[in-house]
Amino acid sequence: MKVTRREFMAGAGAAGLGLIQPARLRATAPTAPVAIAKCADYGTGFLSATEKLFDQLGGMGRLVKGKTVTIKINLTGEAGMRQEHFSAGRTSWTHPRTVGTIVHLLDKAGARRIRVVEGAWVWAASLEEFMYKANWDARLVLGAAPRVELVNTNLPYRGRKPYTRFPVPNGGHLFPAFDLNTVYAESDVLVSLAKLKQHDTAGITLSMKNCFGCSPTTIYGDKVPTDEPSPIPYGGRNQIGHSGSRQPPKSAPPEKDPTSPRQAGYRIPRFVADIVAALPVHLAIVDGVETIAGAELPRPGYTKMVSPGVVLAGTNCVTTDAVGAAVMGFDPMAERGTAPFEGCDSTLKLAEDLGVGTRDLKRIEVIGVPIQQARFSFPEHLGPRPAFGGRRSQ
Amino acid sequence: MALLPNAVPMRWASGPLEIAKRGKTDGFTPQNKQTLERFHDPASLDILKDSPIDCLLLSWAAGLPEDAAQQKSAAALVAAARQRNLAVAGWVEGTADHAAAIAAARAAGLVAVAIQDFKGQTDFPVIPWGERGKMPWDAPGPLLAATGNVWPGVTVPGFGDSAGPTRVPWLDSNGWFLQMARARVRKPLWLMFDPPAKGRIITAANYQTAICDAEIAGGRWVISLDETVRAGLTEGNAPARETLKQIGAAIAFFDKHADWRTFRSLGILGVVSDFTGDNFDMSGEILNLAARQNLQFRAIWKSQAMAQPFTGLKALIYADKAAPEAPLRRKMMAFTEQGGLLITGPKWDPEGTPTDPGFDTQFTVRTFGKGRLAVAKDELTDAFQVAVDAQFLISHANDLVKVYNASSSGCTLVMGSPDGKRALVEVLAFATARVYGPRTVWVREKYRGASLWSIGAAEPVRIEPMPADEYFGVECRVPASVPGYFALEFEV
Repeated sequence: MKVTRREFMAGAGAAGLGLIQPARLRATAPTAPVAIAKCADYGTGFLSATEKLFDQLGGMGRLVKGKTVTIKINLTGEAGMRQEHFSAGRTSWTHPRTVGTIVHLLDKAGARRIRVVEGAWVWAASLEEFMYKANWDARLVLGAAPRVELVNTNLPYRGRKPYTRFPVPNGGHLFPAFDLNTVYAESDVLVSLAKLKQHDTAGITLSMKNCFGCSPTTIYGDKVPTDEPSPIPYGGRNQIGHSGSRQPPKSAPPEKDPTSPRQAGYRIPRFVADIVAALPVHLAIVDGVETIAGAELPRPGYTKMVSPGVVLAGTNCVTTDAVGAAVMGFDPMAERGTAPFEGCDSTLKLAEDLGVGTRDLKRIEVIGVPIQQARFSFPEHLGPRPAFGGRRSQ
Repeated sequence: MALLPNAVPMRWASGPLEIAKRGKTDGFTPQNKQTLERFHDPASLDILKDSPIDCLLLSWAAGLPEDAAQQKSAAALVAAARQRNLAVAGWVEGTADHAAAIAAARAAGLVAVAIQDFKGQTDFPVIPWGERGKMPWDAPGPLLAATGNVWPGVTVPGFGDSAGPTRVPWLDSNGWFLQMARARVRKPLWLMFDPPAKGRIITAANYQTAICDAEIAGGRWVISLDETVRAGLTEGNAPARETLKQIGAAIAFFDKHADWRTFRSLGILGVVSDFTGDNFDMSGEILNLAARQNLQFRAIWKSQAMAQPFTGLKALIYADKAAPEAPLRRKMMAFTEQGGLLITGPKWDPEGTPTDPGFDTQFTVRTFGKGRLAVAKDELTDAFQVAVDAQFLISHANDLVKVYNASSSGCTLVMGSPDGKRALVEVLAFATARVYGPRTVWVREKYRGASLWSIGAAEPVRIEPMPADEYFGVECRVPASVPGYFALEFEV
């Protein structure tokens, strides 16, 4: 999809209307080191690799000791979908053993309480129950440390204020603020435990795009009421996130400029940049041990399972994703029209514009395995993409 | 010639009575009339050559003036059928005189007549039939026939029968009714239903789905062809002949596996009901929609519940309006106390200690002994929500089977052989237009080996189950070439 000149001008105008001053913010966007390790399996290999990564980042104790840690995992799409016969954890989802490992390591580093969260797709019950539906043994996650909770952020937070407002610093591209599950407000440290993979709409989906799923579908999902959040999710994030065919309920902040392009390649990168600005990621972990190439979900005919054998971690989601994009064989400085952003704007650039972090590899310290040695080139295209009716995901 | 219990019946629409009945319907054309006339000609029986169909169900009496002409003109057809070892049974309906219909059938050489509410006495075989909510379960006869069934498949208004990811289809199936019926009676059960008359092209795959839906649940569809296929057969056209061939292949497959009819559900949910009147509507629909949730269930007739052990069940649903008799209530509470889950309507004393079910539900949940009691806060009116809540309350942690890359509009049955040495997982996709990728079947039990059966395959494919990657149990990889229906027969 291409943006027309009119849409481009409208988008530029939208940026101008806000408080964003991209050039200034980009120049001062913070940097943080990113550690890379080779890893061939999800067993002891993953444990030792992530232990090493955490050490290389200065240890996790300084980040999580005595804190409430929230780990956002990625269980995008339906539980019954697989790339061929491979379990979803080996392709499009966070692998259950990586969750157990990270919970264990963060507990060992002194985390006071650990919450594993996800907005499970159109799911009205607990995250634990979704895991069982997906054939995860939720007990392995819950038992990985003494104080572990599972929270489905696509439901109102139980027992307290269901949602909390998170303003986007510097005004935001698309939304000035988001109403998110209050579990995020109770969190001291947010970990994005993501997968190294491509994305149909956003080009790539790593630690930042994973946070698209932080938006509750009771507010940002399809078929939500006009005034208030729905009690349970009724659909994905097409109408508000992708197509912009409607606004969230009146209880939540509306878009800054409803005349901006109604095009997913324009909207999703901005939505994601806004959300990671509003909800800072303190630790980004990107699992590229095994993953999917071609898209974020199995698409018969043009996705395939691949084994890059790599794990990345960093304390800034933009720097981590920039290095991740480079590991995938893409230029993180690429603009719209260039792989992996052929049909969309660059989430990396948009987040950088908001001052979240730099995507410039020259400004990012890479620790451990050099990018060149970790590189696993993802294909730009595996085949013609089928017309797809609207299932989109994190 | 007698009516065999394993007969393969076809609704043989033909003759003056059929023309009179159908002639009153919208859209009845001269060609339709001609087809009905041609099917009344003994030569039409040629279409059944090499087919497993061995029984014709002919309209026999309806209380219409054309009854006599039908019976008289059918003589040649019946005689020709007998010569070909084809049994002919008569369908009696409306205000027809039962005794006269039986006498005419006996004289014509029919093997049986199917009659609703037959009250008389006869030594001639009578097949009792009824609407499925008012079945004559205890009526004598070689088998039972049920009307009021649905054409199995996916219904998405305006979208044909392809279930997609962006919309939720409605799925029509008779499987739940057959499972309920099989829990009540052991005699063969025929299902009466016709293909949709208008607005759809019925493919061979659609016919196979209709057969599979009945057969995997232990019933037999009285094959009924649509007008296009019927007309095509009388004209000898190849697509119609191929459709009939595919129908025959599906029937032959299930006849080859007739022993599967002795297998019993290994379901973990028991639905206890008298399945009568309003209770049929609610509990029947709960069965139907539990199947859509992939909840493996057993229908438990209230009249038989005291004699049946609840072994293997994780949960019971009791949704009947009236409370059960004291002994059955005690039995269900004992099941709960020993660790089971009992889900009931609101008229059940709230015993036990309140507990948080973990999701918003229409039930108040209490722990009772080692188990839980879920009592509805209000009258149960939405069977879908009961099934959804039941699935969450039981938990997917207790799933017996999962099928990956399967159509969301499908059904899965898990059954065991009477000797406990074999387990059977049958998977049926209703979205026949869908192209299937490689599917994976996960089963909870660590079965050793499996045979993969599918219609049209000469031999089974040997499958070696592999340990599940992320969970316990084993997985079987089903090749992409396998069609919408398949069965995995495991060695326990």
